[in-house]
Amino acid sequence: MAKKHTKPVVIKLKGLKKRYGIGNAEHYALDGVDLVIEKGEFIAIMGPSGCGKTTLLNILGLLDRPTDGDYLLDKKPVEELSAAHHARIRSEQIGFVFQNFNLIPRLTVIENVALPLTYKGMRKMKRLKEASRVLKNFHLQEREYYMPNQLSGGQSQRVAIARALVNNPSIILADEPTGNLDSRASHIVMEELSDLHRRGNTIIMVTHNPKLTTYASRVIHMLDGKIASDTKIMVEVTSTTDKIPLGIKKKVAA
Amino acid sequence: MRLLISDHITNAYESLRSNRLRTFLTGLGITIGVASITTVLALSAGVSSVIHQQITALEGNIAVIRPLSTTSGDLTVQQTFTPSTLTEQDYQALMKNKDIKHIAPMMIVAGIPSKGDTKPAGTSVIASTPSLQDIAKLEVRDGQFLDDVTNQQTVVVGEQLSVDLFGTNQSVGQTLTVKGKRFTVIGVLKRSNDPINFSTVDFDKTAIIHLSAGKELAGKTAPLQQISLQATSAAKLQPALQAVDAELARLHHGDKDYTIISGRDIAASTSRLFQLIQGVSAVIASVSLLVGGIGIMNIMLVNVAERTREIGLRKAVGASNAHIIWQFLIESLIISLAGGIAGYVAGYVLAFIISTFLTFDPAFTWYIAGLAGALSLGVGVVFGIYPAVKASRKDPIESLRQYR
Repeated sequence: MAKKHTKPVVIKLKGLKKRYGIGNAEHYALDGVDLVIEKGEFIAIMGPSGCGKTTLLNILGLLDRPTDGDYLLDKKPVEELSAAHHARIRSEQIGFVFQNFNLIPRLTVIENVALPLTYKGMRKMKRLKEASRVLKNFHLQEREYYMPNQLSGGQSQRVAIARALVNNPSIILADEPTGNLDSRASHIVMEELSDLHRRGNTIIMVTHNPKLTTYASRVIHMLDGKIASDTKIMVEVTSTTDKIPLGIKKKVAA
Repeated sequence: MRLLISDHITNAYESLRSNRLRTFLTGLGITIGVASITTVLALSAGVSSVIHQQITALEGNIAVIRPLSTTSGDLTVQQTFTPSTLTEQDYQALMKNKDIKHIAPMMIVAGIPSKGDTKPAGTSVIASTPSLQDIAKLEVRDGQFLDDVTNQQTVVVGEQLSVDLFGTNQSVGQTLTVKGKRFTVIGVLKRSNDPINFSTVDFDKTAIIHLSAGKELAGKTAPLQQISLQATSAAKLQPALQAVDAELARLHHGDKDYTIISGRDIAASTSRLFQLIQGVSAVIASVSLLVGGIGIMNIMLVNVAERTREIGLRKAVGASNAHIIWQFLIESLIISLAGGIAGYVAGYVLAFIISTFLTFDPAFTWYIAGLAGALSLGVGVVFGIYPAVKASRKDPIESLRQYR
């Protein structure tokens, strides 16, 4: 816990509640969540279906609004802001990774990656340069002008991660990023995420797969809209590459 | 917030390209609508411009006097059968004006020129004076026009009428009958192919008799449908018309049951029938434009439904509602504008094809181009805004959950 004061707080939640339905059908998907997330954390949120993991992630990503409670993103309260303001925050501070990748099928890989920059108002040439630079980090440079349907699942998800990263977000939100992938592709994707984590990015990941928590620096278990347990893994995950034979990442990428 | 117009345009272009057939068919709806409107307007503008040219050719010193009932808006029935308020006395009183070079009365005789059992349809008989030749710029092909020496039994016929009656255009010396009275043909007019003119008479199919003969046929009265006059010069037209107005007011005891039309207004009242036809056909054409618009809305709704996940994703990566509205609105605008431009071109092609069967050419005016552009833009906005707003209102979470 010594680190707590050395790193700035990115997200602070206090008494966050989300209610669905009214009257008899009233149901709290989130029932008073308090959470502080510091810069550079890799958080895995676990829990059974319907425990509110995805709702929490949606609220963190400003896609949904809490019924009650405070949400401070980069020390600024955000729940009262307008929808247009939320859109701007999403375009500048938040990157999403989805279970089903959500690449736009009629855009090329590089255009998909450059998409978030469009809404920042960046010129096309600059957008594509930026996207190309990010893709290079993911060893997908030679796939730039492929269409999404020409990529494997693992490649698609890495493109999606590149897209989440292209606008240099404060937090990356990943909803079951390996849910649609086989174990080998899962490893590669998780490897990329933990690589991002090592480079100082804040990642919040929802997952069902307990194995993936080994990549995380902090594991949160949720139950019935509340945080049941919150464990920080103090031992820094140095490397997990030893699980995969050397060079396989390159091979798959190529 | 930047609207990213150029980004939306490239984006819309690509999404439309990926559905080429659908885009083409949707645009075709607009094309047909705009083409039909353009055709109608181009042809009716052609009619007006023919008349304008005639008036310009007459150096702007022409005016016509008509009974008020014929210009009050309703159509030819009245023009032909309502007893006219203009009389021969009016005409004779005006002849004394020194600023007027030529003045010609025009009386439509309720009769059909015939020879034996031949009674060609669509022909008419008018009674006038020799001055008509100068004002209406009539050219004689054969024989001579009416003059003061010729008597009441003579007639000048249009070339088509001559062919219809006698089977030849060399009919000088032949006789024809109007209301039982025999007339000898003394002249055949040169074909003018000009059924639309300020005299409202197709001279190719008309028999022209002298006013005095017309008076005989009508029972000694001469109700005039029109008095055409030509001033000595364009500058003298206005003073002459003022004098005419004063004189007629005196003769009609201050009752203003006539109207004096000069310049462009002559064309306006002459093309009244065409205006009505134009109006009706423009309304019918607008219906096809409306159908095209509904097609756009339909397809845009399909587009929005198909791309729900894309909308959700775009919102997740930072698109605001306004961005989404613009994205889809620009798509529908591109369809409608492209359809409109194609329709404008197709409309003129069609108008030129039709005009080969008519006696005038379609006219190019900025008004039509502007209207075609404004209509297609308008249709794009009106029928595109609902799908666009619908797209922007989609909940990103729900949208992203949707599977392909």
